[in-house]
Amino acid sequence: MSIDTSTDSESGLFADKELVASGRRQRLLRGAAGSAVFLVVWQIAAMPVPTYLLPTPLEVAQAFAVELTAPAVFTVPLLDAEIGLTRMLVNLSDSLYHYIPGLFVGGAAGIAFGIALGWSERLDDAITPVQRVLRPIPPLAWIAFAIVWLGVNHQGAAFIVGIGAFWINFYNAYAGVNGVPESTKEVAASLGVDDDLTMIRKVVIPRASPEIMTGIRTSIGQSWMIVVAAELFGAPGVGFQIINAAQNLALDVSVAYMFVISIVFLISDGIFQRVESRVLVWRE
Amino acid sequence: MARMSQQPTDGKIVVDGIDKRFRSESGPVDALRDVNFAVEEGEFVCIIGASGAGKTTLFRIIAGLEAASEGTVWLDGEPIEGPGTDRGMVFQEYGLFPWRTVLKNVTFGLEERDLDKQARLQRAREMIDLVGLDGFENSYPKELSGGMKQRVGIARALAVDPEILLMDEPFGSVDAQTKQRLHEELLDIWSATNKTVLFVTHDVDEAVTLADRVVVLTGSPGSVHEVVDIELDRPRSRTDDAFADYEQQLRDAIE
Repeated sequence: MSIDTSTDSESGLFADKELVASGRRQRLLRGAAGSAVFLVVWQIAAMPVPTYLLPTPLEVAQAFAVELTAPAVFTVPLLDAEIGLTRMLVNLSDSLYHYIPGLFVGGAAGIAFGIALGWSERLDDAITPVQRVLRPIPPLAWIAFAIVWLGVNHQGAAFIVGIGAFWINFYNAYAGVNGVPESTKEVAASLGVDDDLTMIRKVVIPRASPEIMTGIRTSIGQSWMIVVAAELFGAPGVGFQIINAAQNLALDVSVAYMFVISIVFLISDGIFQRVESRVLVWRE
Repeated sequence: MARMSQQPTDGKIVVDGIDKRFRSESGPVDALRDVNFAVEEGEFVCIIGASGAGKTTLFRIIAGLEAASEGTVWLDGEPIEGPGTDRGMVFQEYGLFPWRTVLKNVTFGLEERDLDKQARLQRAREMIDLVGLDGFENSYPKELSGGMKQRVGIARALAVDPEILLMDEPFGSVDAQTKQRLHEELLDIWSATNKTVLFVTHDVDEAVTLADRVVVLTGSPGSVHEVVDIELDRPRSRTDDAFADYEQQLRDAIE
């Protein structure tokens, strides 16, 4: 997913930089043109049909503005405190209340298991059969457990998100640790590393960090998909709003919330991409 | 291994009756049979042989990365039972830690020791100076050429002040010109540090350029065919008749 490789060519000559800059300008122009065409086609397609079938871009923008500004109260779960926000921010906060715990707990557990199984052949042998059977099960299929154990609420939705984040991070960390060359570990051993923990901390994790970072980044995106799916069952949040508004024939509001997900994803992915390129400056 | 066994002869490194068998699908394969030789303190010894003669296997046994099926390798009278910082290792493919800068690669082995940060950095900088890489402390391996990478490998191996330097075809992946310069530098480092060097190669020219003595491994399974003393003053010139004679002698021995 390296879209913008031109920005990190620091060593280029001035001529190169100019070329890069003009290339970027051209790309921006093309992007703007493409977006404009998209909006026009959408507008033309939507004009003859009623809003509840297909809202126009303008109607969506209006709905977005209304949702963004209409005051609403957010009840902080577990704390019972109330905060005055706007409708959109309340829904977003609700979603984040299961997105963030699910992503962090599931992701951290996935990374930990991935490293453990990637490192220990014995553990790998013991757990692989179970892992093979469980992994193909889509996170949403666990909704039954989420409902009976936790209910259709933040915890239930966080549970589903956590399962999704777990597998993505598990698999990437596992592959990364498995891919650490034997020779790299041998070099470390020859330089005095003689216990597993030091080897994992100083050699295996840094060497596997590109794969681990890929897992985190993938799960940041995938977890939003799972959030929306989990909310279709009734947990509060952005995903629930998409369905709820559509059932009230307010498709402009639905689409506005679809864009909320897109925007939040782009922001979080952009931030993480920066973190990633910082952490992995050493990568070829 | 006999518990009361002792190093059979004098020497810094004594390779004593080493056999190595690998298990394979089609039964056991003999890689080394009854390999014996000794290296004196401060000596520069090359191990040479055709591919398949078990050079790398022998290197890995001395490095402690592989166990011998029979026999013992002794270092200062102690049997080698695993990898350790008494042997600084330099590998053909450099084995640098790509996530660490040059400086941090060189400090790696020092981090496992009871040394304060200041002392670590000072030691690492000395080693980086020694291999002529000052100014590249903060570069990552990806930014270095093959020759520079191997200089980092040497600096890193020397940083922990090992008893011996073990090198497995370290210059096998660099161009001829760089190789020649690295040979000169390695000999300078060798005389500056008085390390014992054991150097594996398949290149007779390299062996005659560097070694006090050359151990020739032949056959399959490999065993010591001959040990050749290179009695040439340094710096050595490839154009000498004597140089060419040694090259011919080694070439004949390998075949």
